[in-house]
Amino acid sequence: MDIGLIAIGAGLAVGLTGLGAGLAEKDVGAAAVGAITEDVSLFGKAMVLMVLPETIVIFGLVVAILAAFVLPGMI
Amino acid sequence: MFGRKGKKGNYAYTVARVKAKKAGLLKEDAYSKMLMMSLPEISRFISESGYQKEITELTGKYDGVDLIEHATYTNMARLFRGILEASQGELRDMIAADLGRWDAWNLKVILRGRSFGLSADGIKEDLVPAGELDMAHLEKLMGCETDEDVLTMFGKMQKTSIPQDVLSRYKAEGNLSVIEDYLDKYFYEKLLLSIDPSSRPKRLYQDFIRNEIDITNLETILKLKKEGISGEDVLQYVIPGGKQIDRKLATQLANAESVSAMANDLAQLDFFEEIKPALDDTNSLRDIVAALTKYHIKQAKTFSHLYPLSVIPVVDYMIHKENEVNNIRIIARGLDSGLDREVIRGLLVV
Repeated sequence: MDIGLIAIGAGLAVGLTGLGAGLAEKDVGAAAVGAITEDVSLFGKAMVLMVLPETIVIFGLVVAILAAFVLPGMI
Repeated sequence: MFGRKGKKGNYAYTVARVKAKKAGLLKEDAYSKMLMMSLPEISRFISESGYQKEITELTGKYDGVDLIEHATYTNMARLFRGILEASQGELRDMIAADLGRWDAWNLKVILRGRSFGLSADGIKEDLVPAGELDMAHLEKLMGCETDEDVLTMFGKMQKTSIPQDVLSRYKAEGNLSVIEDYLDKYFYEKLLLSIDPSSRPKRLYQDFIRNEIDITNLETILKLKKEGISGEDVLQYVIPGGKQIDRKLATQLANAESVSAMANDLAQLDFFEEIKPALDDTNSLRDIVAALTKYHIKQAKTFSHLYPLSVIPVVDYMIHKENEVNNIRIIARGLDSGLDREVIRGLLVV
């Protein structure tokens, strides 16, 4: 039962942060494409800004890994 | 939450494109440089500053000041249509309504051109096909037999009709200002109707447009006052929908004895401080109009920073672009007619 709850928690951590990152990237991506359409030299800057929201997923992944591998040993 | 509901616009994409375009506009020092140049040098300079395509296309057809004027108008029309085509949903509707000013402008140019007996090519030179009506539509209008046919066809293209009383007044008086006045009122009425003030950025945009109506009305009142026209005759040209200048204030302003006497009534306006130094009977109307234009541009800039994902940054860019084109044309025309460089500098809105 506990393992099951931990697995759901780990899944939520990745899933919800992924959803958050997707929402953030929606506008960032559209703006990045718009800026690159006008000036190709902005590609580098746009790329960096584009991947910034993905850091949220990394936090979620870290939490999920901790939950999946560390928590079961503590029970 | 996902922005898929209804007809929401693609704000992020359009605004990013517009911001990138705005970064390419001429800076203040570019005008000082241009003032020191000859006309061919200005043509070369602007072709290196975003007008290359138009200058290259039109070089064989025009030269000197005509080349600069055509290139700038063609470039502006292309850019504005480009923005319109890139936008979607409610954003597109609002931009299209704002660009409707160029449809009104083009119709005025066609009617004025016809009244002066200009050829279709002559009229075409001053057209800016940036609105809903492209050059094909405008050519159809130019091909009409009579002014009445032009107005009827314009009405059909705009899915509206010019009111019968306006047409009969125009026929009776033969005065183009009747039609021009109607077009201005029609444009602002349509523009205000296109804004749904359901969110703060849209309410801000509505305020911005209503402020623009105030500025236009004030300019009209001042121009008529300088011509010695006052009272009821002025009021018929006042566009309804202004934010601060209502009918009562417009009447007071119209009945004031002189421009300086208007200062007391104008003191209640938000932008009074901006135009105060120019409000003097010794100053020319140009100074007051320049002060009002500067204030309008400043407002657009402020609002665009408040709500980056709204229609305001797009309108802000369009105002800046139009101002850039006007400045280039003032410099080119001024130099061509041998005006003193300092006088031309005074005419620029920077």
